[in-house]
Amino acid sequence: MFFKIIGSIIILLSSSFLGFILSKDCSMRPQQLRELQGLLQMLENEISYMANLLTDAFYKMHEVRKNEISLIFKQAADYLTADTGLNASEAWERALKENIKKTALNEEDEKILISFGKMLGKSDVEGQLKNIKLAMKQLEIQEKKAEESKAKNEAMYKRLGVLCGLALIIILV
Amino acid sequence: MGIDLIFKIAAIGILVSVLNQVLIRSGREEQAMMTTLAGLVVVLLMVVKEIVSLFNTIKAMFNF
Repeated sequence: MFFKIIGSIIILLSSSFLGFILSKDCSMRPQQLRELQGLLQMLENEISYMANLLTDAFYKMHEVRKNEISLIFKQAADYLTADTGLNASEAWERALKENIKKTALNEEDEKILISFGKMLGKSDVEGQLKNIKLAMKQLEIQEKKAEESKAKNEAMYKRLGVLCGLALIIILV
Repeated sequence: MGIDLIFKIAAIGILVSVLNQVLIRSGREEQAMMTTLAGLVVVLLMVVKEIVSLFNTIKAMFNF
């Protein structure tokens, strides 16, 4: 009897926790997409107005906003300054693949960011700015979608987690 | 048999109906349907043993 109660509590806690994590992911994604757009805007300014180097711009972005998203930029700048022989787009892609798991972004966002990185450092200022604008526009669409799915799923995941835990307990007891 | 089984089935019924409501509210009618069916199957699996014993009793009663 004692073991059954302990086991049921563990099942309930873990399933509620799972639901909570999923709903948190749902609510974090639009926020992080907004953050990413802000950072890209900043990059645009760095390139067009300040005419900074890419690594300097990336480090500066990480200085201004320290979070999971700007960590990608910092990592890419680290790869560029370290003597790894990577070019800008390769460094960006590697940094992205290493850090995307820490964020709430999904594969679609990752694809947009990779295609943004493909053009990084491969054209003149004009081309770079256009590339950034394109990425921002795509991210804006993603943000709208993420906002919709947040409204739909956030509360549902929480309730579903608790209820599924209860159902499991009843079936197993 | 015992009163436990009835309570268990009642609890499953309540849970499945709440799950159904939650899923329909968030616009997932198909999944709501699937959970209802899953609940039905689980309850049937629980009850099937009792049905077998009922049939056996009836068989014994009429000396088949």
